[in-house]
Amino acid sequence: MRTRGAEDPGAVLGREALAYVDTLHNLARYLTGNETDAEDLVQETYARALKAADQFTPGTNLKAWLFRILRNGFLSSYRRQRASPLVGGLDTVDPAHQGVADDAWLRDDVELDRLRKLVAEEIEAALLTLTEEARTVILLDLEGLTETEVAHVLGCAVGTVKSRLARARSALRQRLKDYAR
Amino acid sequence: MDCEDVRLHLHDDQRGHVGPELHRELRAHLERCPACAHEEAAEHVLTEVLERRLPQHPASLALKRRLLAEWPAAPVEARPWWRGWRGALVPALAAALVLALGPPLYRGLTPGARGDAAAMVAEAVNDHVRVLQRDRPLDVESGGIHEVKPWFAGRLDFAPVVSFEGDAEFPLQGGAVGYFVDRKAAVFVYKRRLHPVSLFVFRAEGLPWPARGLTQIGGAAAYTSVSRGFNVILWRAGDLGYALVSDVDALELGRLAAKLARG
Repeated sequence: MRTRGAEDPGAVLGREALAYVDTLHNLARYLTGNETDAEDLVQETYARALKAADQFTPGTNLKAWLFRILRNGFLSSYRRQRASPLVGGLDTVDPAHQGVADDAWLRDDVELDRLRKLVAEEIEAALLTLTEEARTVILLDLEGLTETEVAHVLGCAVGTVKSRLARARSALRQRLKDYAR
Repeated sequence: MDCEDVRLHLHDDQRGHVGPELHRELRAHLERCPACAHEEAAEHVLTEVLERRLPQHPASLALKRRLLAEWPAAPVEARPWWRGWRGALVPALAAALVLALGPPLYRGLTPGARGDAAAMVAEAVNDHVRVLQRDRPLDVESGGIHEVKPWFAGRLDFAPVVSFEGDAEFPLQGGAVGYFVDRKAAVFVYKRRLHPVSLFVFRAEGLPWPARGLTQIGGAAAYTSVSRGFNVILWRAGDLGYALVSDVDALELGRLAAKLARG
């Protein structure tokens, strides 16, 4: 039994959750494509996390749990409401162009050098042309989440994460080709 | 193992996420397959470009303040742990709590008063947020530690001892004069990616320094904690006290503390 004055574990968890606000906002920004919606999405994510706090399993990855809530919130709130290609969801980009790309353009040093010279805005623009799922899996990988954690966020089988990530990165390279000229 | 299999594992291999046997198989394939070797080079470049240049969008201070106001910030009475979260959903109550915490916290930290580590940590976080909220967080822009440190001369009643001049990982942004509890503090602001990191240096005597739960960081016995989403590291060196605060990852903040506190 906890005594008066002892710190509430929920409060501790809450403060730990706040440590991820920057990284959550970053994903939200890349999902929604604008600052206002990103802030709303993050705020909604924390509100949902508070309500669902009893569903969090201590010892598991809190960051991945929050990412999952954020993405689900995005899908339920935004995807149905908007026809914008930026937030249009999984079918935004023709799947035929999301698969294994023709990476011949990268197969010499000159093209690799062009890729290295891309500026931040070009990389961001290229990423935003990808489907929601491709953007998410790339960003979660950059955040250092494991395949199991990414699968938890995406709600897919662990075994499919590797191939999804490979397809997403391949699609991004293909998009970057348009900027690296 | 064919090319398709190899390419599926290249990214994992670059991150060191494959076992030694698979790693050897991949290396053997790459040595004899120029197409896959090019693919690996392209994966390297893509990772480098993404990690170094993809713009990051941290949350605004306004959003952080809104969230802080909605989350519990103080010890509560015994009750089912999840109810503490639900209680925090009442913004007015939370805002009142935040407002109410300020003055008592200050009084509890005055010299000679009986304080505790939590109060020191809360003070450090408050001071960090205060620095970030200033119109001009820096009084002096960094041209290097040898420009920032002399700038404090005449502005403080002590000489801040800080030898770490910043590096590529934690560049020094500049300095400012701030306060820690009842005394002036030298504030050094470093940066980790887009995250500001505040180092407060101040006279150490008369403050309720935590005596337990210390860990060795660099040359100092340090107290580490998390408060309201910010990581905090406190330590003493001679007559001076140090408080390092940021929302960067705890491990990263620890690395900076080790550089600052190296004996």
